Amino acid sequence: MPDNWGFVIAAYGLAAIVLIAYWRFLFRREKELDDAGTVRQHLSQESGAQRTQRGPLP
Amino acid sequence: MRRLLGGVTLLGLAAGFVMGFVVAPRESTQGNVQRIMYLHVPSVWVAYLAFGVVLVASIVYLVRRAEAADQLAHASAEVGVLFTGLTIATGSIWGKPTWGTWWTWDARLTSVSILFVMYLGYLLLRGMIDDRERGARFAAVLGIVAAFNIPLVHFSVYWWRTLHQPPSLMKPGPGTMPGIIVAALLVNFAAFTLLYVYFVAKRARLLRLEAEAEA
Repeated sequence: MPDNWGFVIAAYGLAAIVLIAYWRFLFRREKELDDAGTVRQHLSQESGAQRTQRGPLP
Repeated sequence: MRRLLGGVTLLGLAAGFVMGFVVAPRESTQGNVQRIMYLHVPSVWVAYLAFGVVLVASIVYLVRRAEAADQLAHASAEVGVLFTGLTIATGSIWGKPTWGTWWTWDARLTSVSILFVMYLGYLLLRGMIDDRERGARFAAVLGIVAAFNIPLVHFSVYWWRTLHQPPSLMKPGPGTMPGIIVAALLVNFAAFTLLYVYFVAKRARLLRLEAEAEA
């Protein structure tokens, strides 16, 4: 039987593309959420500090 | 820890590639196209594993209402759908030169397609329901029901006359494959299992962060 290397390359190439694409999706989303988390943390710290400077709320 | 897991996974995949393409010999009947097996069979193993985890995590969620179990089920289902899709695609590519057709509606191919569509439906269901708790509950029920299809897929080659060959590895009794081919396959099984753990850990963390951001 002929070796059909084209089919082998197609199968492994497709798998590589799909898996790398999924990994990139996870990586980018993780970065987005981590950045958003850092901003949220920053904002909550700032608002907490401002409240302390102004004194307790009436 | 996740970086270490990622590194080990990458090493495992490289080792699997070397085993499949350098160490394992050319198969005498099918030729080199048989090397697709080192990708196709571990992919379906990961799909079974992923949907098994969905089943267990869904039961845990329904009993304890633990959000972490729901996130694990969600992440595992997504990775399972990815690997089921890969299984179908690589099987089709392997089928053309060996069977002479890209696709046939035999019991194995049909049952695995149903499995794929069911878990795709599971993911769509999750996306459709806005109420997080309600969506998780419905998805858990579907995650349990859909798991009944897994033995149907695996044993379909015994229960019906199929073009697809019966399993050479995940079956009772002595193996029929040469040791070196089994070794290459096992290395790829291990590498793909690591890849599954890596993907699920990363995806479950993202789901947790998304839930925290929404709260």
